[in-house]
Amino acid sequence: MLSKKLLAVLALVTLVYLALPAPVYAYLDPGTGSFIFQMVIAGLAGAALVIKMYWGKIKGLFARLFSKESQRSKEETDA
Amino acid sequence: MLDQSERIPASFRDPSGFVFRRDGQIYRQVNLEYKETLNHLITSGLYDGLIRDNLLISHRDVGREYTLTENAYTVIQPETLPFVSYPYEWCFSQLKDAALLTLEIQLRAIDAGMSLKDSSAYNIQFVAGKPLLIDTLSFEMYEEGHPWVAYRQFCQHFLAPLALMSYRDIRLHQLLRIYIDGVPLDLASNLLPGRTHFKLGLLSHIHLHAKAQTRYADRSVSTEQRKMSRLSLLGLLDSLKQTVQRLSWEPKGTEWHNYYSITNYSESALRHKAQLVEEMMASLDPTPALVWDLGANTGVFSQIAARQGAMTISFDIDPAAVEKNYREIQAKGEARILPLVLDLTNPSPGIGWEHCERASLMERGPADVALALALIHHLAISNNLPFEKIAGFFRQICHTLIIEFVPKNDAQVQKLLASREDIFVDYDQITFEREFRNFFDIERQAPIQDTGRTLYRMVRKDG
Repeated sequence: MLSKKLLAVLALVTLVYLALPAPVYAYLDPGTGSFIFQMVIAGLAGAALVIKMYWGKIKGLFARLFSKESQRSKEETDA
Repeated sequence: MLDQSERIPASFRDPSGFVFRRDGQIYRQVNLEYKETLNHLITSGLYDGLIRDNLLISHRDVGREYTLTENAYTVIQPETLPFVSYPYEWCFSQLKDAALLTLEIQLRAIDAGMSLKDSSAYNIQFVAGKPLLIDTLSFEMYEEGHPWVAYRQFCQHFLAPLALMSYRDIRLHQLLRIYIDGVPLDLASNLLPGRTHFKLGLLSHIHLHAKAQTRYADRSVSTEQRKMSRLSLLGLLDSLKQTVQRLSWEPKGTEWHNYYSITNYSESALRHKAQLVEEMMASLDPTPALVWDLGANTGVFSQIAARQGAMTISFDIDPAAVEKNYREIQAKGEARILPLVLDLTNPSPGIGWEHCERASLMERGPADVALALALIHHLAISNNLPFEKIAGFFRQICHTLIIEFVPKNDAQVQKLLASREDIFVDYDQITFEREFRNFFDIERQAPIQDTGRTLYRMVRKDG
């Protein structure tokens, strides 16, 4: 019984430990301000990168929508 | 063993290892704590890819035999560098190419599960015309969630000086000579023109970045709880890359812009001078390995030296001339010329801790041959240097000297004297020869056709 309990505690401690990011042992001081700022700006840059990667598809989608739109309006005027 | 080996003074920051010199060769000790990381660099295929595409210096493992301390894992011997140069000696495009190389390597490292733990411009050297990362121990294991530890350093070493050169003044790259860890971002932010606030990349990585640094300057904030996704890291690198790529500088209105057309050189005089330089170079035995062309302008005569097979460092004071020279060698794929910015009257000093982290110009010599073409009048008249001092300087930096004497009645000298009193009573060819003979033996001399100028080849008296 005791060993089971101990095992559970150990597992929990291990899990919590794993969930926490390891402290950074860097020989270079990244600078507190630079570190925090980087996380903010990188989030935005990451989003921008996603848009950039899918830009072709997004553009294609709009292009198709608009061409259908113009096609339809053309048909309507013709009719 | 220790008495034969000497640790390189600049190599003390990184606990992963250090660089030392032994019997004239450069080695790098890798410490035990870096064992796994070095092995990952090799086994992941990252090393091979970087070597194949000429982005990282190659090395061979020479084993434990050469180790200097107890905690050693192994010793590697990197490929030999013909000449070490520093970011404050590079032109705009050289610094920009070095920045883009750093980002390219970081992107490839992330692909291989690694990351650059520093992004110092001093880790880049120009080898065979191209920038190369020379610090094999710059890699660490990438852990998902961790921000880029070298982000601040990248902005200070590359982005800030490039932006200042591009948007404010090309000469501001000299700030790198004062600030050894790169231009402080608050300083860069202050110096950059207001319109750079409307450039998204510069607004974020310099202006807002500087503000964040000031804001957190005295605060202790735990960064352990915060995570940054891999996608965010890739976004950050993409943004930095775009920001660097968009920075540009075009040389215009340079001092030497149309130098060759305004001197009293006729077409045939120029050809004759080139021919004389070529002959004086070609008849040297042994063939020189390292040539310093001082006052090289855009490198016309450096090309003659390079054609003879010598690694030629093409120095000029004018960043525009150096920029043109660099672009030309890039276009031609010329591997034996390295153009650098240098003010010979105030050459790069030894800087950093104990003046030893970055070597002075003289410590990086002597060269086998120095070319001093159309230079003497600038030193003697513009900088008031007596011939004795000029000869004494050349004695320290080269074994053989190819130097052009420009007489006082030459149009170029007259131009220098036009706005000042002629206090240079000793500026004549007889005094020139007498003073240089104190340190050199004159081996050859030849008048340059259609000019009053003379070309000399001299060899240092003690060999």
